[in-house]
Amino acid sequence: MSQFLVKEGVKNQIRKGEKLVTTHCCYCGMQCGMHIRVDEKNNKVVGVEPRYDWVLTKGKMCPKGVTAYQTIDHPDRIKTPLIKKNGKFVEATWDEALDLIESQYKGIQENYGKDAVGVYGGVSMTNEKCYLVGKYARVGLGTRYIDYNGRYCMSSAAGGFNKTLGMDRGSTLPWTELEHTDTFFMAGSNTAECHPTSIQWFWKAKDKGAKLIVADPRETATARVADVHLDLLPGTDSALANGIMHLLIKHDYVDNEYVQERCNNFEELKDMTAKFTPEYTSKLTGVAAEKIIKAAHIFGKSPRSVVMFARGAEQQTSGVDNVSLYTSMALLRGQIGKFASGVATFTGQGNGQGGREHGQKADALPGYRKIANPKDVEHVAGVWGIKPEEMPKEGVSAYEMFHLMQNKTIRALHVICSNPVVSSPNINYVQDSLEKLDFLVVNDFFMSETAELADVVLPATTWAEDEGTTTNIEGRVIRIRKVVDPIGESKPDWEIMSMIADRLGKGKYFDYSEPREIFDELRHASKGGKADYYGVTYEKIDEQDGVFWPAPTEDSKGTPSIFQERFATEDGKANLAVCDFRGPSEVQSNEYPLWLTTGRVVFHYLSGNQTRRVDFLMEQCPEPFVEMHPELASKYQIENGERVKLSTPRGEMITPVKITKAIRKDTMFVPYHWGKKLAVNQLTSPALDPFSRMPEFKVCAVKLEKLTK
Amino acid sequence: MNKIMYLEFERCIGCRACQAACRECGDHDAKERNYVEYVDFTESRQTFPMLCMQCKDPACARVCPANAIQITDEGVVLSAMEEKCIGCRNCTFGCPFGIPKFDFETNKMYKCDMCYDRTRHDIAPMCASVCPSDAIRFIDFDEMQQLRRKRTQMNLVEGKKPQEGNKWDYVPEFFGVYTDSQS
Repeated sequence: MSQFLVKEGVKNQIRKGEKLVTTHCCYCGMQCGMHIRVDEKNNKVVGVEPRYDWVLTKGKMCPKGVTAYQTIDHPDRIKTPLIKKNGKFVEATWDEALDLIESQYKGIQENYGKDAVGVYGGVSMTNEKCYLVGKYARVGLGTRYIDYNGRYCMSSAAGGFNKTLGMDRGSTLPWTELEHTDTFFMAGSNTAECHPTSIQWFWKAKDKGAKLIVADPRETATARVADVHLDLLPGTDSALANGIMHLLIKHDYVDNEYVQERCNNFEELKDMTAKFTPEYTSKLTGVAAEKIIKAAHIFGKSPRSVVMFARGAEQQTSGVDNVSLYTSMALLRGQIGKFASGVATFTGQGNGQGGREHGQKADALPGYRKIANPKDVEHVAGVWGIKPEEMPKEGVSAYEMFHLMQNKTIRALHVICSNPVVSSPNINYVQDSLEKLDFLVVNDFFMSETAELADVVLPATTWAEDEGTTTNIEGRVIRIRKVVDPIGESKPDWEIMSMIADRLGKGKYFDYSEPREIFDELRHASKGGKADYYGVTYEKIDEQDGVFWPAPTEDSKGTPSIFQERFATEDGKANLAVCDFRGPSEVQSNEYPLWLTTGRVVFHYLSGNQTRRVDFLMEQCPEPFVEMHPELASKYQIENGERVKLSTPRGEMITPVKITKAIRKDTMFVPYHWGKKLAVNQLTSPALDPFSRMPEFKVCAVKLEKLTK
Repeated sequence: MNKIMYLEFERCIGCRACQAACRECGDHDAKERNYVEYVDFTESRQTFPMLCMQCKDPACARVCPANAIQITDEGVVLSAMEEKCIGCRNCTFGCPFGIPKFDFETNKMYKCDMCYDRTRHDIAPMCASVCPSDAIRFIDFDEMQQLRRKRTQMNLVEGKKPQEGNKWDYVPEFFGVYTDSQS
């Protein structure tokens, strides 16, 4: 007989001979709840069942989530360590692989110093692993050069939040409150495609009459249902935010009491925004003045509003400014710290939140501590059992690490859970940098474009073969459960790092038998920091559907809404952003007269290393394409489906055209999920935000050419 | 089973999770039986889901010469019984909504059965379960009626009142409202 109950009162279909394992999706920051179906006889994953009772997503999933389980027992899985011999990968034993890694790491570090070995992490893995990557680099290898792919994802949001609010938690409110919000101001986010299951909350609010304002160069599936679509030029978010604030001040929509009591810099902001009249803003952003005015009135009048943004606003050289300015919009309206209102960023990677809090970043230590702060170093060194002076200094950001590979400062690299030759900007340079390395180790479960360049590939497990926690888009710490045992000889990343550390004589610092022990250490390492996980336990997560950090004491239930009394800055007041419009790093020229912007499609995730191997997703979207307006296509005499050439000074690609009026006439869009010849990141600009070191993926000047036949 | 499938086309975000999920239903042989289409991609990204309407008097079953398409007591129009289907494709021509699909390899039709092994136990079909935007819902009859009344209420809240000549303008209530300006 089939069973139908998983949780009290919730009906699920459980087929005969199967069990359901309750977990979350492996992909984006929504971390949708799901049950994985496991055949009890042979212990194989056979499918997925909605998890109706998960508080944030209610059983809903996007096509990536529905098919996520197919990556677990996939024929392309790497099941043994691989060593490259004469340019070809040969299967090897763990001992052989570890021997080689040990001798190479030791040799390189003896000859060129500890810092000659770098670590490049990722955040599509559990908190336990992300935390351990930081410790592995600093204690295991003793190197200062560690950074991670979150630098391309969340660093500007983090920078902006830290600057204005003093703390970086992606959302100041739990998203279950969103249905009570009156207005959403969404910038640079196509949430309908990139975080599809979030859309239910916006619809719930819309059903009650909420308004939606979307700033995006494309009329995306999200912008399509907006009350006002601000179709701005890529790279002009700071002008738009200043323009809106100009109107908020002019029309007396500012919550004066709140601003006076809780914010700094109001007078300066007033001076700065004075010049951003609707006409001037319109000239800079290309958005009609009446739309800006309409948006400002809707936003200004609504009693409860949430300002949200994503990579569109963040992946720019003024990304931190953009985030700070958009956050200031919410501050002017006195929204942050109140019910159903506040500010939020859409976390792109599964554990983009947790992964950036616990020391994978070049300048950070667990609990959002800073490596430049001696007190922070002392605390973490104490937990790790090392002397504070043994702690390596601050390193450099992800993209800047490739410069150091070019000049041979970094000679060996360990890539964990990332695919930088697809996800970085200007990837021809990145690939060249990786090829210049003496020794490259990659942990992955599929042969990624980066793994192809490696000397040793270590078989990691998928998310479903290990226990752990992640921190979702709201800042809620949740449980990932082990569904099946690791396939083949694959091992979870934490075990791989521990084994290598052991070979390097640091085994006593990495003596773990299960992820829970790592989590316990993380709790202590983060204790007293801004991202305080001390009160989070696996049991508590199960009991109360996740725990929101900060949870500073053992009996703390977590903090769903933050900044209710004071901000996390030193004086407890938020710093309103006073930033002028700087414009993108590239300007249009006669040679490169158009704008190119990049982004995701709903069917693929990040570098596509997982989703490009799932049949359903590949049937829907097998290759990249360039979206352009029919007017632009007509100017170049291009037809729908025709292949065209796009080029920038850094590279070129040939790709088919999709013609739609749902995009600006001067802007083209290409999704970035493919590698090599199909990679739009051959073209993208590596210009960095001066503060967050986030590359400007979202704006570059481009040339369009019709191919002659 | 006292529930109904409720579609709201304008909520569709075109993610095709319903199609991916359809393949996951136990009896579906990993083949999806529903559709998501663009209205006109050149004009807009508006998409809409399309499922079997589970007709009271289904044309597909009527035109089936082999009586392969059965209707359950609850009124669910099932996919053709494999042993009976003769692969004539009458159903695909007969259906006014273009729903039945045809597998040219096995020479059999297949169609949406509303995830009968789920719905008969009052568990939502896979498509309605996963649909992120609630464009497809599996709800009680009363809830459906309430939703329909709600739309009129929302119009009134916004100060709009349909007239005889323009009442159809009020159906896609949740479409975006744009200013007419050029940019």
